[in-house]
Amino acid sequence: MEFFKKTIDPVVAMVIVGLLDIFLFLVVGAWTVGGGETMITGLIAKGILGHRLDRIPFWVQDFKPTFAYWKMYISLGMFFGAFVGAVLSKEFYWRVPRHLNEWVMITIGGLLMGVGIRLAFICNVSTFFAITPQINLGGYLAVSGIIAGAWVGSWIYKKVLEA
Amino acid sequence: MHNDPTYQLLASFFFASVVGFLMQRSRFCNTAALRDAMLFKNYRNTKAMLALMIVGTLGFTAFMTVGAGHPIVFEVGINQFIGLFLFGIGMVLAGACTVSSWVKSGEGNVGTMWAVLFTFVGMFLFSLYWSAAYWPPASATMSQVPNLKGLQLGVANAATLQRQTGIPAIVFGLIQAAVLAAIYYKIVRYERATEQARADAQARAAAVAQTEEATAAAIGMPRGKQTAGNL
Repeated sequence: MEFFKKTIDPVVAMVIVGLLDIFLFLVVGAWTVGGGETMITGLIAKGILGHRLDRIPFWVQDFKPTFAYWKMYISLGMFFGAFVGAVLSKEFYWRVPRHLNEWVMITIGGLLMGVGIRLAFICNVSTFFAITPQINLGGYLAVSGIIAGAWVGSWIYKKVLEA
Repeated sequence: MHNDPTYQLLASFFFASVVGFLMQRSRFCNTAALRDAMLFKNYRNTKAMLALMIVGTLGFTAFMTVGAGHPIVFEVGINQFIGLFLFGIGMVLAGACTVSSWVKSGEGNVGTMWAVLFTFVGMFLFSLYWSAAYWPPASATMSQVPNLKGLQLGVANAATLQRQTGIPAIVFGLIQAAVLAAIYYKIVRYERATEQARADAQARAAAVAQTEEATAAAIGMPRGKQTAGNL
């Protein structure tokens, strides 16, 4: 299908997302991903550890594993939407990082993202597209943090690529 | 109706499916919006990010003025800076943020699936730390009052600003949107200037090539030979 092969201008795409984000804000709350990922973590941990998970207060007091948590369906929806988009445009294919240093960077990066999200309660999506537009002071702190972090990350990334 | 969980879940899933589709088709990436701007001075994604922020700011603050919508309420603290600092390093190393990791996984990228897996591991490790330290206060234990000893500053957003100053939230929204639009405009101007500079350089190179050709023709040297020599 030719229509699906055309790349959409990101500015147009994100303005549409912005309008949908306002709709979601009225229904449940603005677009966020970190909380849903935490809930998926909790459900996986519950699946592996069973009742032993209750010994970790975080999963009792703060994130009691449940399937009825709306933020989780945002992660699944994005995965589904992207999969449909990739299949329709024939862009779906398995991509596997080839070099060991890529795997090491991805692993460390993933860990840092997980710890960072929980430490701040917010992920990059809620920073830029939920709380900063709500003029939340935490949003300004988070934007400063992520810019500083991306700068340090870019520096490391460049060093690794040059090595 | 709004509090019916099934309805919320369906709305979230529908919203996210459209977002995932649009992100995949537009190749938008939040990581690239910051990284490419810093490393390569490429602002394609940065502009899209700013556009979304402008739309969101106007929409959210307009509805917050009349008390509609579901703003995120949580305690502001220094942990937001530290957490997102770590996150910023992590997303550049992993080459994907929370959104693009799901979108790229949907495209069949095994590397980002691995990143998501380790995000889960990181979150689980944090849950162990939190269960020992109880800091920063997570949503269930938040008091919503400033606690300077715990490095927490209380709640602050457009709604609290409206309550404390009496100025409608949309006014703050308009100011913020204007600042974001100014940054957007600056990027557009920078892009135009670099494009112009590139076009000028190309025109200059073409003129030089023409002169060389003319010289080569004048001294009777075939142009092809000269090019081969240059290579």
